[in-house]
Amino acid sequence: MSSLISAWPAIIAAIVAAALPREAKPKHRAGLAAVTFLLVASVVWLWPDGSSAAVAKTASEDEWPHLLNLLIGLPLAGGVAVMFMPRQMLRLLRGFTYLVFGLTFLASLWLLTVPMTAGWHFQHIKPWIDSAGIRWHVAVDGMSVWLVLLTTFTTPIAAFATFGSVKKRIKEMCIAFLILQGAMIGTFVALDLFQFYVFWELMLVPMFLMIGVWGGSDRIKAAVKFFLFTMTGSVLMLAAMLYIVWTHHALTDVWTFDFLALMRVHLPGVEGALDARSLCFWAFSLAFFIKVPMFPLHTWLPDAHVQAPTGGSVVLAAVMLKLGTYGYLRFSMGLFPGPAGTYGPTLAGLAIMGGIFYGALCAWKQTDIKRLVAYSSVAHLGFVMLGLFGATSSGIQGAILQMINHGIATGALFMLVGVIYDRRHTREVSEFGGLAKVMPIYATVFVIVTMASIGVPGTNGFIGEFMVIAGTYVSRRLNQFSAVQAIGAAFGVILAAVYMLSVVQKMFFGPLKNPKNKGLRDLTAREGVALAPLVLAIFILGWFPRVLLARMEPAVTMFQKHFVSSFNQLPKDTTGAMLIDASRFPKPMLVGAPKVTKKKRDTTTARASADGRSGALAARGGAR
Amino acid sequence: MMEQLKQQFPASDFSLLAIVLVLPLLGALVNGLFGKRLGKSGVRTMALTAIGGSFLASVVTFFMVVATPVAKGAPAARFVWNVWHWFSVDGQIGQKVPIDVAFSVDALSAIMMLVVTGVGFLIHLYSTGYMAKDPGYSRFFAYLNLFIFSMLVLILGDNLAILFIGWEGVGLCSYLLIGFWYTDEQKAAAGKKAFITNRIGDFGLLVAMAMLVYYAGTLNWSGLEKAAPSLVHARDVWPIGNLHASALPTFLADWLTPAQPWQMFVPTFIGLALFLGCVGKSAQFPLYVWLPDAMAGPTPVSALIHAATMVTAGVYLVARCSFLFVLSPAVMTIIAATGAFTALLAATIALAQNDLKKVLAYSTVSQLGFMFIGVGSGAFTAGFFHVLTHAFFKGCLFLCAGSVIHAMHVRIHDDDASQDMRKMGGLRKFMPFTHITYLVSCLAIAGCPPLSGFWSKEEVLGGAYHNTIAGTNTGLWTAPAWTGKAIFAVGILAAVLTAFYMFRSYFMTFQGSFRGWKIVKGYKSKGHDHHDHDVEDGAAIGGPLPHESPWQMTAPLVILAALAAVAGLMWAPLLKIEALKEFLAGVFKTASANVPHAEHSLLPLAFGIGAFAVGTAGAFYVYQMQRGKPAAAFVRAVPWLHRGALHKWKVDELYEATVLGMVDAMGETAAQFDKWVIDGIIARVTSAVTIELGNLLRKLQSGRLQVYAAAMVIGVAGIGWYVLVPHANANADEPRFARSGRLQLTAAAGHGYRYRWHVDQEPVPAEYTTKADYSLKIGRCETKTVHLSVQNVFGLTSERDISRCWEVRNGCCDAPKASKNGSSKSGSNKKAGQKPADASKARRRGKFMQRGKPRPARRAPRRPPAKGGQR
Repeated sequence: MSSLISAWPAIIAAIVAAALPREAKPKHRAGLAAVTFLLVASVVWLWPDGSSAAVAKTASEDEWPHLLNLLIGLPLAGGVAVMFMPRQMLRLLRGFTYLVFGLTFLASLWLLTVPMTAGWHFQHIKPWIDSAGIRWHVAVDGMSVWLVLLTTFTTPIAAFATFGSVKKRIKEMCIAFLILQGAMIGTFVALDLFQFYVFWELMLVPMFLMIGVWGGSDRIKAAVKFFLFTMTGSVLMLAAMLYIVWTHHALTDVWTFDFLALMRVHLPGVEGALDARSLCFWAFSLAFFIKVPMFPLHTWLPDAHVQAPTGGSVVLAAVMLKLGTYGYLRFSMGLFPGPAGTYGPTLAGLAIMGGIFYGALCAWKQTDIKRLVAYSSVAHLGFVMLGLFGATSSGIQGAILQMINHGIATGALFMLVGVIYDRRHTREVSEFGGLAKVMPIYATVFVIVTMASIGVPGTNGFIGEFMVIAGTYVSRRLNQFSAVQAIGAAFGVILAAVYMLSVVQKMFFGPLKNPKNKGLRDLTAREGVALAPLVLAIFILGWFPRVLLARMEPAVTMFQKHFVSSFNQLPKDTTGAMLIDASRFPKPMLVGAPKVTKKKRDTTTARASADGRSGALAARGGAR
Repeated sequence: MMEQLKQQFPASDFSLLAIVLVLPLLGALVNGLFGKRLGKSGVRTMALTAIGGSFLASVVTFFMVVATPVAKGAPAARFVWNVWHWFSVDGQIGQKVPIDVAFSVDALSAIMMLVVTGVGFLIHLYSTGYMAKDPGYSRFFAYLNLFIFSMLVLILGDNLAILFIGWEGVGLCSYLLIGFWYTDEQKAAAGKKAFITNRIGDFGLLVAMAMLVYYAGTLNWSGLEKAAPSLVHARDVWPIGNLHASALPTFLADWLTPAQPWQMFVPTFIGLALFLGCVGKSAQFPLYVWLPDAMAGPTPVSALIHAATMVTAGVYLVARCSFLFVLSPAVMTIIAATGAFTALLAATIALAQNDLKKVLAYSTVSQLGFMFIGVGSGAFTAGFFHVLTHAFFKGCLFLCAGSVIHAMHVRIHDDDASQDMRKMGGLRKFMPFTHITYLVSCLAIAGCPPLSGFWSKEEVLGGAYHNTIAGTNTGLWTAPAWTGKAIFAVGILAAVLTAFYMFRSYFMTFQGSFRGWKIVKGYKSKGHDHHDHDVEDGAAIGGPLPHESPWQMTAPLVILAALAAVAGLMWAPLLKIEALKEFLAGVFKTASANVPHAEHSLLPLAFGIGAFAVGTAGAFYVYQMQRGKPAAAFVRAVPWLHRGALHKWKVDELYEATVLGMVDAMGETAAQFDKWVIDGIIARVTSAVTIELGNLLRKLQSGRLQVYAAAMVIGVAGIGWYVLVPHANANADEPRFARSGRLQLTAAAGHGYRYRWHVDQEPVPAEYTTKADYSLKIGRCETKTVHLSVQNVFGLTSERDISRCWEVRNGCCDAPKASKNGSSKSGSNKKAGQKPADASKARRRGKFMQRGKPRPARRAPRRPPAKGGQR
């Protein structure tokens, strides 16, 4: 029986290949079988108690340390390899890209084979630039593993959809996609701030090119806007990064960019005042808020989305925005629990008013479908950020789940918009109407994805939203505001229905007035294959969110407990930087941190005295 | 047999529900995915088998529930089927609140399940005839099966979250089915309106779930029932958050911050949030506006979803959570009052409608109001009883209407015209089955004894008349004694109107002479395509005899009419039959404890029969004997009243102008604000400033040597000036000072600097020396000022006063003289006795940059650790 289950992917792939209509070519059969194999394998491996997952019994021994290097390296190397391929051989280029993506996806499924206990997995550390203490440090935990999988899952789909519609500069497109994926995975798994920054910036380049080269009529402006907005945040983050690294050196005489080491630095500051600690927090957070994007830094998003090609939009919405939310969760909350907690209620208010409400209202009034979906992203990510600001275990789990959900639902929406754009070369809602008559399958898929997007229970959107709302209600961090903010967030579900159903009605229902829409082709097989995994994921996650939550929970619980206790116990008003004692951290959290020793008091120079009586405080372990 | 079943399906793992649930879902999937290939007969077989099988399984389940003995006073028997763990959320104290995909069945849900699958099956059967010619046949049945599935999930869900799946699922199906003929823009818009209005209610339910997770720590029914009593405590609801009088301007402060915070009891706001959900789904005032529009869907849909099953979900939820609602007499009163008001309002609108389906729609809204009167006045069994009887007679009425419309469609193809009662009349002769069943249901809804409606309405109104809700806590608000009587009076008035408008519709449709078209013997239809629409007004056109519907349509009519006639015998206290009450006693046990037993009088009964008699007789006189003349005279006499009722009191227009207009304006504002202000400031203004700055700086790089030379001269002069002037700065060894009170000062070095140190009161040294260090001891809480002056090689001097105090306990250094640069913060610092913020800033700099006059800087050495405990 168990052997049968482990053979499931192969069996179902064979059935699908055999069930194709007679006229299908062997090539198509093989391709579809491969896709089905991957999908079924991922579903089987996802199951917490699935037989395949149970193969690996012990945690660390079976973790191949180079897996993450492979995940980063494969697409990057693939991208470089494509550079040396002849640009006329389109099939080779595309086939090679699919192959690399397929291998990366398969390799990323490997991440699921180990029990996802709290702490780091598949950790790999190697000195990189020794003189500056920069190391190559990659690892995943229960929080980032899903974002890595989301990346390896959606990027191939986006690429597949793009190759269907983009006809020029295919070679460059392949390179851009491959490098983009490598950089995004690198950003999700990097635990060295320098390395993180490198990938964070590297990621910008292919996306900038994608918008600027394959974009719409106003692409250059949109690309520059996208780049400048993100860059502004990045340099702020870099400055704050250097400040922390310098402070760490002042405290310990050790140069390191390692996140795990820098987590122990408690910067000086007074609660609520704008000084070193909160400035660094804001510098990091602004970089992430721009990326998320949060009101009022969101205006680059609609422009970028509208101009970007379909694949670019999908990757941008599905993965890149998540880097902002992930960054806030990992780095802003990890490095600065104090300010993150202090400003939490205010920022939560901003996420609700500026994100959930304002984003929804703006979305409602858009006439361009892509713009509408872009603004709906602002609203959805408002939910994600609210979950993070509330800082409860279920809020954070809901937020991570909502990141995945948004990636799936909004990714699918952008692909659907791409489908109609390919046919009509317009995205104005008023151009359509009554499409359900001519494109029934398209309309059905659109309605299903819409339902996921507005969080109808039974689809994945509901679980995330509900966990965030319930998490907000019980949040102690938001104290007196928690109830009001939970109600406010819940109100967002009405607005979501308003804007999404309005556009569905305008596009699909009513009489087929525009003669240009009379002969539109329904979803092609190619588009169907691209959309099917996403639609499948909508229902799987809607009914079985445990497959994600079970693996996420230990990591989130550990993180959240540590965050809350740090916020409560670390001194709020300090005049000097201090090194937090390692014993205050949960053991698994600091595995792999570079060895540092506290600087002896005698060696304190006049200069370091600026950073205060670090030794004394750290020894007390923040007894206040 | 029963024993075997019980062994196969134990109460704790009742997987029989899988059959009930999965069959309709399977039907929906098969019909949805392969409907086109199956063909009509295949679709029909699939749909009917699915619902039929589900119905049979429901019957078995029902009898198993019946056969499970329940000890007197014990909670109801509940068969649970826990399928899988869905997800968990955090509770109030950080505990895990598991939310499972679990289904359960007890007496209440068993009956409801039977109604849904039973009536559902009949309506499926009916639809096979009604929709026979529709091109979207398979789509229709896929939606209908999906609806049954969602409705069953709603009923059988073991917790509020699973109920919510069904709750939104039925809303979705309703949306899809109202807009079934989506090419008609109006119909699609009606679907959207229904969904969004329902979503307002769903918002309430979502909030209620979050609240229950917080306060009760569970969402499943048995857990909630246990936790319910502990919920009764008060919470501040205003002022909200940390709104303090001091933070507001005075005129607002008096207004917004009451002396005592306003409090509300937890069950009250949980109840209100839950009830908002019920108001949306069960079309109560003010969210009832979607239901009449929902009649745009095919008539079987109106019968199944918008009359018999889905819209009663709200009543079901109140009955299901009765133990929560009774905790708050205020919420119960609101429920009953909302029900009464809605019952009356909808009845007045129904009086003036000419569209047969609209009459029935408003009648549904009105009857739902009756149900809420029942559950709101603590007569839960009665309210639920009305749900049952209403499912039968209203289902039957709608199907009759469908049958009539089907007949009218022969010659009148316009949807609105084919439903207009002014074009009907005399159908009694042509459609005998439809006529009889309509009459029976009409009598039932009007409350004619001994038909079902009589019994249920009697119980509902009796409940309103007799019951009071007692609070379990002295602080709770309880309704004054007259509210029950007032609600009863409104209910009776609505009952009179019900009888009147129902018989008005009956007489207009079935009695009198046929007004649809001129009946031509042997008329041959020219087919759908060739008839011309423009001659379709009045009797100018000819047509065949209106015909009775096929058996698939009449059979359900007959069954439902029979049920409408006899269902009342489930609970007929006059005849000493109390089967339903006893069956449901366990379910409402907790709730009934809060509804004190009252003496029953026969007064409501008399009023009820009177209402039926008056209403029916009135309609008979006006529409049968006088052929509508008094009505026409009435319209002429008070036209505004008629216009108001005909136009639904313009509630839709009111919403349009207020709520929708406001949201629309907000949306428009937000979009424009985003475009011009946010994007304007963040993108356009910054880019403009950058460009202008660039232009400015470019001008400096003019290439003119003179400009560069001038800039160089100015720069060199500036640096020279800095070097020339001495700077009296000093560093202090802070940690040492904090530890021991010894202040070790090191003056900054400079070109040829010589120093002169002295403390206050000491004589000023005559000579400058090269001694850059200076050390002094400062006592506890003592303030000393050191004067430093620096002389450079040019003989220029600069002075600096350094004033320090060794703080060993909080506040002992608070010198009376307020420091200048700390003044903005000093107020709060002094008050709270905390470490002065300015001091910490100065410390971090590690230097004393003050220039000029001496002033005491308050120093704050770190307090000793641990023992302080002030924070």
